[in-house]
Amino acid sequence: MEVDGWTLSVDEVTKAYGDLRANDAVTLEVRPGEVYGLLGPNGAGKTTLVKQIIGLLKPSAGRLTLGPHDLVADPDAARQLCSYLPQAQMPIDAFKARQVIVLTGMIRGGDAAPVGRRADELIDALDIGEWRDTVGMRLSGGIKRLVGFAMVTAWPGRVVILDEPTNDVDPRRRRLLWEQIRKLGDDGASVLLVTHNVLEAEKAVDRLAIINEGRLVAEGTPSSLKAEDRGRLRLQLMMVPGRPTPEMAPFVHHHTRVGNNVIATINDGDAAHGIGWAQELMGAGVAEEYALAATTLEDVYIRLTGHTSETEVVPA
Amino acid sequence: MTSLTAEVRTGPTEWLRGYRVMTRWELSSLRLLLPLIVAVQVLVGGGFALGIGLFFEEIPTRNALFLTTGVAVVTLITVGFVLGPQLVSNQKTAGTYDFMWSLPVPRTSQAAAWTTVNAFIALPGMIAALLIAGWRYDLPLRVSWSVVPAVVLTIVTATMVGYAFAHAIPKPMITQLITQLLIFVILGFAPINFPQENLPAWLAEVNMYLPFHHMAVVIRAGLTDGLVSGVVGSYAVVGAYAVASTVVAAIVIGRRG
Repeated sequence: MEVDGWTLSVDEVTKAYGDLRANDAVTLEVRPGEVYGLLGPNGAGKTTLVKQIIGLLKPSAGRLTLGPHDLVADPDAARQLCSYLPQAQMPIDAFKARQVIVLTGMIRGGDAAPVGRRADELIDALDIGEWRDTVGMRLSGGIKRLVGFAMVTAWPGRVVILDEPTNDVDPRRRRLLWEQIRKLGDDGASVLLVTHNVLEAEKAVDRLAIINEGRLVAEGTPSSLKAEDRGRLRLQLMMVPGRPTPEMAPFVHHHTRVGNNVIATINDGDAAHGIGWAQELMGAGVAEEYALAATTLEDVYIRLTGHTSETEVVPA
Repeated sequence: MTSLTAEVRTGPTEWLRGYRVMTRWELSSLRLLLPLIVAVQVLVGGGFALGIGLFFEEIPTRNALFLTTGVAVVTLITVGFVLGPQLVSNQKTAGTYDFMWSLPVPRTSQAAAWTTVNAFIALPGMIAALLIAGWRYDLPLRVSWSVVPAVVLTIVTATMVGYAFAHAIPKPMITQLITQLLIFVILGFAPINFPQENLPAWLAEVNMYLPFHHMAVVIRAGLTDGLVSGVVGSYAVVGAYAVASTVVAAIVIGRRG
């Protein structure tokens, strides 16, 4: 399988609307066979980046290439080589599930017979056979989402871009969906997974980028991004609404305030001190509750994208 | 093992492939609404043709011929002006616009598919208007082959103008207001349903540069005998508008923000 020729390369891509930079010199690479996560809060610039890759928007500066193709100069090639599942609902109300999967596969360039076989495979693999001949308007949100996934992957491009593919999908079929996403990678596609579900992404992606306010703030494998937090715990304080963030105890490494929660990281060894401190804050009427847990990728994410001025942003 | 797109397809074969699959997509996606839309078109066309008779105690044949063929023209224009913008507005509000425009088919084949669907929708209304009026007023309609290019040029122009507006204007609401205004202008101030001589001289002059009067002329030439003159000049104007609106629409839908 020739794979290396089809790397998706995003090179210093900037998209500016007047003074606002929706993407600011974003650079990343998605290699064939890889499931690559693009994480960030709403409005971080993820969808703007995706729309430039598939040729719906034109970058203000920078280069986008896929193998030998310049995606900025040739948006027709971009649309043929990239499959795109948007976050919004798909326009399938009038279609039967299998019919729309096959038709989209044919629009994507496949012939009726192989697309039909692939549609049946996907319907079985995602366990949605029960709704094979049900029209879209009668499907639940989660099943619609799975039909949408099957539509864009019935005849996939070299790059498959999935924007929140698991939204509304039940836990069992979510697992089946992840298997199919992984299989796309195994078949040689570069999968770009856009999400803000960090815990799910942590298990599913090979590498990921965290994007915030248009800029790429961290990139790496999930474990490399968590490396700094190894041997640390997360101490979460639920503040009494309206109370300011208290002064941090000396053993706190980082802290971020998200709404009424203060999320701090501390060393394993400081667990007892952490609990004592949290109880003091509760006693003083500053905090309502606390929780102590192992750190996850979410802690890295919160630290990098948290919006309070006290946030200590640690570059990866 | 799933096969992934390897070659980038281009050229006329790819355009035709895109046109074929997108026509199928558009027709299927309107499947539930299509019978209703066509029925409404037939009722509007037929009803309009009958309704005009109520304006007059006795309607002279020439006037009936004028009004009836005018109704047929208005039916074609309104479908292009109204339905395309409505469809695109729906895509924008439902959030499906990005998906539809990320599909790997040539933009112009997507536009051509939509024009074909518009023709499917508009023609039954036009035919109903002519049949019902022909029966009701006993009209001397003489249908010739030249009605085909006349109808095609009219549908293409109207569809492309509506399409270009719908794509160029980000707010669906504004698009709808503009197209409604256009229809009001067409019905009231373009010599489609009445002879050009009835307009003030300056407005008649303005209409010589707009497509509506000329659309009516070429379609009447294909449906009647001796009712209109200057047909060649009108073909030139409608043809120019069809080309220009197609080019503008192609530029608008090919544009990236």
